[in-house]
Amino acid sequence: MAHASTIKNFKNTPKPDRTVQFRIKRCDGPGQPSRYESFNVPIESGSNVISCLQYIAANPITVTGQKTTPVVWDAGCLEEICGACTMVINGKVRQSCSCLIDEYAPHEGDVITLEPMSKFPVVRDLWVDRQRLFESLEKVSAWVPIDGSYDLGPGPQETPQQSEMRYTLSTCMSCGCCLEACPQYQKEDDASSWDTSFIGAAPLSQARLFNEHGTGRQLKGARLDALMGPGGINDCGNAQNCVKVCPKEIPLTESIAAVGRAVTIHSFTRFFTGK
Amino acid sequence: MADKRVIIVGGGLAGLAAAIRIAEAGLAVDLFSMVPVKRSHSVCAQGGINACNEVARQQGYSEYQHFDETLYGGDYLADQAPVLEMTNFAPKVIDLLDRMGVPFNRTAEGFRDLRLFGGSLFKRTHFSGATTGQQLLYALDEQVRKLAVQGKINKYEFWEFLWPICTEDTDDKRCIGITAQDMRTMQIRSFRGDAVVMATGGCGLVFGKSTNSIICTGGAASRCYQAGAWYANPEMIQVHPTAIPGADKCRLMSESARGEGGRVWVPRKKGDARQARDIPENERWYFLEEKYPGYGNLVPRDIATREIFDLCVNQDMGVDGQNQVYLDLTHMDPGYLTRKLGGILEIYEKFVGVDPRFEPMKIFPAVHYSMGGMWTQYTPGSYEPSSPHGMHNPFDTSPVDSDIGKGMALGAPNNMQTNIKGLYAFGEVNFAYHGATRLGANALLSCIFDGLYNGVSVANYVNDCEPSKNPAAQFDQNIYDAAVKQEQAKAQKLLNSVSDGPADDATNPYKIGYELGVEITSASTVVKTGKGLSACLDKIHALNDRYQNVRLGDAASWTNQTLSYTRAIGDMLVLAEVIVKGGILREESRGSHYRLDFPDRNDEKFLKTTVVSYQPGSDDPHQVTFRDVDTRFVKPRPRTYGKTDTKNAESTKSDQPETATA
Amino acid sequence: MATQKNSPLRQHHFLLRRLHSLSGIVPIGVFLILHLTTNATILWGVLNSRAGSDMLARRVGTFQEEVSFINGLPALLLIELTLWISLGFHSILGVYYAFSGRPNVREYPYPDNWRYTLQRVSGYVGILFIFYHVATLRWGWSFLVPGGTQWSHNFAASTLAAAMQGSEQGYTVAGIAVSLFYFVGVSLLVYHFANGLWTAAITWGLTISEQAQKRWGFVCAGLGAGMMLLAWASIIGFATLDYDAAAEIEGAMHSETNIPAAAQSHADNTNP
Repeated sequence: MAHASTIKNFKNTPKPDRTVQFRIKRCDGPGQPSRYESFNVPIESGSNVISCLQYIAANPITVTGQKTTPVVWDAGCLEEICGACTMVINGKVRQSCSCLIDEYAPHEGDVITLEPMSKFPVVRDLWVDRQRLFESLEKVSAWVPIDGSYDLGPGPQETPQQSEMRYTLSTCMSCGCCLEACPQYQKEDDASSWDTSFIGAAPLSQARLFNEHGTGRQLKGARLDALMGPGGINDCGNAQNCVKVCPKEIPLTESIAAVGRAVTIHSFTRFFTGK
Repeated sequence: MADKRVIIVGGGLAGLAAAIRIAEAGLAVDLFSMVPVKRSHSVCAQGGINACNEVARQQGYSEYQHFDETLYGGDYLADQAPVLEMTNFAPKVIDLLDRMGVPFNRTAEGFRDLRLFGGSLFKRTHFSGATTGQQLLYALDEQVRKLAVQGKINKYEFWEFLWPICTEDTDDKRCIGITAQDMRTMQIRSFRGDAVVMATGGCGLVFGKSTNSIICTGGAASRCYQAGAWYANPEMIQVHPTAIPGADKCRLMSESARGEGGRVWVPRKKGDARQARDIPENERWYFLEEKYPGYGNLVPRDIATREIFDLCVNQDMGVDGQNQVYLDLTHMDPGYLTRKLGGILEIYEKFVGVDPRFEPMKIFPAVHYSMGGMWTQYTPGSYEPSSPHGMHNPFDTSPVDSDIGKGMALGAPNNMQTNIKGLYAFGEVNFAYHGATRLGANALLSCIFDGLYNGVSVANYVNDCEPSKNPAAQFDQNIYDAAVKQEQAKAQKLLNSVSDGPADDATNPYKIGYELGVEITSASTVVKTGKGLSACLDKIHALNDRYQNVRLGDAASWTNQTLSYTRAIGDMLVLAEVIVKGGILREESRGSHYRLDFPDRNDEKFLKTTVVSYQPGSDDPHQVTFRDVDTRFVKPRPRTYGKTDTKNAESTKSDQPETATA
Repeated sequence: MATQKNSPLRQHHFLLRRLHSLSGIVPIGVFLILHLTTNATILWGVLNSRAGSDMLARRVGTFQEEVSFINGLPALLLIELTLWISLGFHSILGVYYAFSGRPNVREYPYPDNWRYTLQRVSGYVGILFIFYHVATLRWGWSFLVPGGTQWSHNFAASTLAAAMQGSEQGYTVAGIAVSLFYFVGVSLLVYHFANGLWTAAITWGLTISEQAQKRWGFVCAGLGAGMMLLAWASIIGFATLDYDAAAEIEGAMHSETNIPAAAQSHADNTNP
């Protein structure tokens, strides 16, 4: 009775002991041309993209028998909580650690294409430089301005609903999926454009997170000011891809609307009070 | 003032907390991390963070009880003074995190919620959903970002620590900087620092697959060890009984699955290839229930770990012939499971692709945490009882209040300093707090405590001790240039091996690393024997010989991950030798260290810290000495957790040490 | 950094973006609703019993009454000017903003992403359509009209029918193309308005929760569907209107209200 939903993730029963081909977009460094290399990887039960990349690192030989260098990629926890191993798999952005081969390539000879995220400069192969994402957290003052780290008693009390709401927003691991999938967020190689090019969903949502905290809202005005200019909240095109690709299912579109409301009120307040 | 600099290596909870406290003290901080600090391994912690709180206090709990539990859990191998200071300080840590905006779970009235954790009868664990470590790390990361914007902290992300730079003087050796390599440009350069704080975490990768992140190689600790810092209790490695074996790593599966009624079994027939659901009830071996009719699946954690390990490794009875057993919840109502265990079941579903509500989980013990680490010292505080106390019971008056400075002297420059002056060890890489086993939800506490409390010591050392008279900025540049040259030569030697042609199985660094993991996991984790450890040591030596001829597959001078990994393998091999050596010499069983040939605890001979120092050039470079453990506060007592009372599993269950969920 | 933050350019940016959002609703959107309602009288005018008993006369007559009413409005130029400025502002900024996006429906074929992409496409096509519409029917650029029909506000229905059908005698191939262009253009503009109204609620922060956005989505979809019906009714009405019959009715109306003969002849002036 329960069997129907036993292996619900897989449309097809994966074939054991099969070989899957990885087609990987490679690039030796910034400014270097890109190329695709393909590798055959024997699949064991429970394989994910990371374990396959580890196999390729130990056996860097392409399908044509060409000896090549191990593929470079970024990874950390492998539990989908650090956000490091984000890449574009079969055209769509996601974490590679939680990408199971049994799901993506259940048949002998299936091909999985790995590409670096396209919205960030490539460092090498699948590793991209997401520094811009972290700098945008600076732009929105994504912190609670406490006096210091010395013991001054507890923080502001809050209801379980407030706490749960902030928790949900606070699970953002800065992976960049929402930025990669956003048609309004563009790759900017030149750091001087970062400030005026659309900031994307993740930092907008972080601004909301800290505006919701009792002490954090002291910087609300500064955050909203930063988000009212070019590259801020107004550059959102409401395609709403962000919320669909977010691995943590953060309600990013709600955050965007909430920041929209905040800047609306902020601008009227400023207009009529001069503050 | 501005030219006084502190280097912090590692951007997890310990490193970030230290960076904040030291920057606030007015010193310039250079923070080094192999990853953006927000992606440090601390994100993986789930359960929570322990601290005495008002609710528990009014039920008879106290900071002292927390202290007593931590010592008991750690089988008395921890020096007691730092533990007392940590547990006394714990409530301040929670308050600070609260102010930083950590979304702690709240009660209906809006107070911080608490959950029950192993090793205590009181709710003393503060938590933030099922990702407490992530939330704490983010809170500290945000504060560091603020300080970085203010120019008080310089972050060097994607920089790999290579070596501590020390003065030559062997008796009064002092650390005055580090060498590090940019993992993208591959530039190797030196950094001057009046003090260096190592906050580099654990060494799970030595064991191949562990619950650790892939950056937790232990390489940094090993390099400090090879540079002369002592390493303590290397043999104390915590293995969690239930993890999800993956093709790339092991992911933790909380013990609460068994608490809710999960049953552990394997097919009775060795090599049975049928699907779990096709195996009839009478052909399933519920080995824990059979061997321990009283406790069943709820046997104490170390027994469960040992039984599963023995079954798979020694008897080759694992499911599908692999190192895994079934943890079965399918006999239970799926709705109930979703309500009680939803979070952890989702992890299983996401990573295995199977719904554990309908298909038994496949689990196996996995290396989780290193209680051992770099040896550190401290200055005792003001509390000096005439004789050690016995067991502390709830409601008993605490023999000491919870003021700062009772256990350790606040701000003493040598607190958590290694044997090398100016070189500190904070967090998991510090051996100081957890003895022979760590209690669940104490790890996050020890990391942040180290950073905040002992960060003051670092600042005082820089302001008042040697660096104030002879700052690192004034040392001869030649010392630093020589250190860079040394690292460049090491890297070049590895890179040169590319021209020797492609690696074979013997010289492939990835294969050497894989084999190291297999060997040390089978010999030096759950069940150890003198013979097995010695054989393992020989194998590590053989691997080390192969490593001398290692060949890289990548000569790139840009973002060469193979170079970084291969270099770390060399250091992991050294650390592996130390871990195994410590296990061989500790001829007793204590906490996580279980010797089949010495199954009992031996306080007379081994209530001592294993301290290893590196003597290159000698026959055995790893010189082990045993140092007495500080037991001046509490008298060690047998660590039974009510083990003899096999009939009443329920009442003793909550008395088990929860060792690994945090 | 600090100076840049407080520079007028930055505050300007916010104002412009919000004016862009606002101008799409008021006056453009409001005008669109009125305009479609007026035009659709060519079909629902049959309900106007005051306009006689003949069905065609009711339709043509009602429409003509509406057109005459509008042409008789005081300060009509001011209204037109406001509309033109708003349209120009909304179009130019809209195109500029739309150029900053790179649609990716191929990789992420979510319905919302199609909605986003269609909003841009409908904007581009809408601008072309409005230009054609205004140029041919308001500015009298009859060289862009197949058959060269010049629209007359006194013979509003008949000349419009001829312009859309390609000739006064009925359909030509080019005329069918014009009718189709009207169908596509007006439909896209209605979509553009309905979707714009939906996203404006997010932009201004009226709808925050997913449920609120969904509910407001139903409202906008309902409004859009209604407008779409009006739009299609207008197009069907004019595209199927018989020129001669309509012109006769209009001529009769004007003779009752003493329209000068010169104006009448204007309707036949097909090639200025």
